[in-house]
Amino acid sequence: MNPLASKKRASLLLIAPAALLIFFFLVLPYLTIVVMSFRVPGDGTPYAPGFTTGNYLHFFSDSFFLQQTFNTLMIGAICTLVCLVLGFPVAWQLARGNSRLRGIAYGIVLSPLLVGIVIRSYGWTIILGNNGMINRTLISMGLVDRPVGLMYNTLGIVIALSHVFLPFMILPVMAAIQGIDPSLESAARSLGASRATIFRRIILPLSMPGIQAGCILTFVLSLSAYVTPALIGGSKVKTMAVTVVDTLVDTFQWPFGSALALMLAVTGAVIVVIFARMTRMKWKAA
Amino acid sequence: MTEVSIERLTMDYGVHRAVDGISLRIRNGEFISLLGPSGCGKTTTLKVIAGFEHASSGAIRFDGNDVMQVPAEKRDIGMVFQNYALFPHMTVAGNLAFGLEMRKLPKAEMQSRIAKVLEMVQLSSHADRYPNQLSGGQQQRVALARALVIEPKILLLDEPLANLDAKLREEMRVFIREIQRRVGITTVYVTHDQAEAMTMSDRVVVMFGGKIAQMGTPAEIYDQPASVEVAKFVGQVNLLRMKVEAITGDGGMDVSGPFGVIKVKSIEGAAPGRAVTVAVRPEAIDLVSPSEGQAATIASSYYSGSLMDYRARLADGTLIDVQTFPRQRFADGEAVGLSIPADRWWPLEVTA
Repeated sequence: MNPLASKKRASLLLIAPAALLIFFFLVLPYLTIVVMSFRVPGDGTPYAPGFTTGNYLHFFSDSFFLQQTFNTLMIGAICTLVCLVLGFPVAWQLARGNSRLRGIAYGIVLSPLLVGIVIRSYGWTIILGNNGMINRTLISMGLVDRPVGLMYNTLGIVIALSHVFLPFMILPVMAAIQGIDPSLESAARSLGASRATIFRRIILPLSMPGIQAGCILTFVLSLSAYVTPALIGGSKVKTMAVTVVDTLVDTFQWPFGSALALMLAVTGAVIVVIFARMTRMKWKAA
Repeated sequence: MTEVSIERLTMDYGVHRAVDGISLRIRNGEFISLLGPSGCGKTTTLKVIAGFEHASSGAIRFDGNDVMQVPAEKRDIGMVFQNYALFPHMTVAGNLAFGLEMRKLPKAEMQSRIAKVLEMVQLSSHADRYPNQLSGGQQQRVALARALVIEPKILLLDEPLANLDAKLREEMRVFIREIQRRVGITTVYVTHDQAEAMTMSDRVVVMFGGKIAQMGTPAEIYDQPASVEVAKFVGQVNLLRMKVEAITGDGGMDVSGPFGVIKVKSIEGAAPGRAVTVAVRPEAIDLVSPSEGQAATIASSYYSGSLMDYRARLADGTLIDVQTFPRQRFADGEAVGLSIPADRWWPLEVTA
C-alpha cells in the first residue's frame, strides 16, 4: 500500500467514532422524522399505513402554524440582536481590558452555563412573575399599581433566552476581537479616523467572523429552545418547539409533529444560510 | 514640508521615566533616526510625536505650532508600523484609500493619487490584492505607500524593517531613503540597528535611558562618539586606557599607552597624570610588517567574505580588534605591525 493511501486510511479511522455517533444519533433520527412526516395520521395509533403530503398541506393552509413559525423566528432574531448588542461591549472588555477583574468578569459571563437550564428558567419565573421581584419592587415604589406583564408573553421569553444564550455570543466575538491587532487602530487614527469610524470601518468588519458565529449559534439555539419558552410562555405564548412537543406528546400526532419540526428546521436553516451569505467575508477567502 | 521641534519632552509611565527631557529640532525634509537599545525611549518619543501618547511635560511644535493638544487623527502624520498594521479586510487600493476617504477627497483625485504612489512603491499591479496575498517586503511597501498617499506633514517609521530578512532589509533601506528624498518629507525613523540608522539618516540621535546621548551626522556619531556608551553601541571599537602626559597649547594633549605617545584632542577634565579612555575603530587600523608599525601577533581571525576580522595581541598582552579586506591574509600566530593614522584616535573620557 502506498503511504498516501495509508495516511488516508488512518485519518478515516480517526474520524470514524465521531462519524458513527453522528450517523446513529443525528442522521438516522432525522431520516426517521422525514419519513414520519409523510405518513398518514392514524386513529388511535401514532400513524396509519401509506404515505401522504397532507401534513405539509395542513401546515401551509393553517395560518395559526404559519404565524407561530414566524413568531418563533422573530423571537430568535430578537434574542440574537439583544445578545449581540449586550454582548459586544462585554466581549470587547474581555478581549482588550487589562483589569484584574477580567478573570471575575469571565466567570460571570460563563455562569449561565454552569446552572442547569430548568433551574435557570425557574429563576426567571421568580424574577418576572406577577408576584415576582420586579413587579413587587415596582409596586412598592408606587411606580405602577398593577403588575407589569413580564411573563406569559414574548417579552419574558426574549429576556430569559437572551440571558441563557449570551455566552454563546460573547465567546466567539471575544475570540475575534482578540485576533485584531491593536496597532490597526493606531494606524487608522494616524490616517485621520475618529473613534466611531475606527469602530465602523475596522473593528466591526474584523470582528465579523465572531459575530457571524455568535449570531448563528444564538439564533439556532433560540429557535430550538424548549424548556425556557415552555416555562416562561406557559400556555399563553408558544414557540414552535413547544408546539412540536405538544403535538407529539399530548395529542400524539406523530406525522404532523414531525412535519412541524422539519418546517422549523428548514426555515431556520434557510435564514442561517442567507445570513451567512450576506455576511460573507471576501478577505477571509483570499 | 514641516519643521519639527521637540522641547524638554518628558514622559512618565507611573514611576518609570521613559523619556527624560529631550530637546530636538528636525529640519524641513530631514531624515532623522532615533537610535538606541530597547527601552531607551525612542519608540515612546515617536508615539508622542504621533499623538498616540500624551507627554507628561514639554512641547512639540510642527512649524512653530504647538500640537500637544491636537489628537493623533488630526496631526496629519504618516506612520509605518513595525508589523505594517495593514487592514486585512481591505485590498491594497482600499488600504491606501482609507486615509484619503477620511480627508473626503474627490474620487478622481483619490484614484490618481493612489495610482501615483503605487507606482512609486512599484506595486501598481497589486492594487486589488489583499494583504495576506503579499510577501513581507510587499506589505512593507504598501504600509509606506499608505502613509505617504495622504501627503502628511511628517513621516514616522517605527522599526519598519525589523521583520524582514537580512537581504531584503538592505534593499528596503535604500528604497525608503530614495523615496523619502524624492518626496522631500520630514522623517523620523526609529531603530535599534545602527547600520540602518547610519546608512539612511541625515542625522542620528542616539538615546540611552530616555536621554539623548549624542546627536549628529552618521560620520560624527561614528568617528567622534560623545561617550564610551555611544562608541560601543555604534559599531565595534577598541577602548584603550592611556595616561595624559601633557596638555598642548593647540587644544590637544599627549597621551601614552601601548602605542607609545600619541597626540589626541584634549577633553574636559584632562590634566597631566590623569587616566583617559581612547577609542580606535577596528577598520582604522592597517596591518603592516612588524618593522613598520606597533609589533603584535595575530591571536585569532574570522573570515566573513568581504571582510576579515583579526584579534591581535600586543607585547603587553592588550588585545586589539582589527578589520581589513581579505586581500592579504595573516595566519594565527603571525607577527604583524599595527599602523594607526594619528587622526583616528578619539579620546572619550577621563577615568581617574
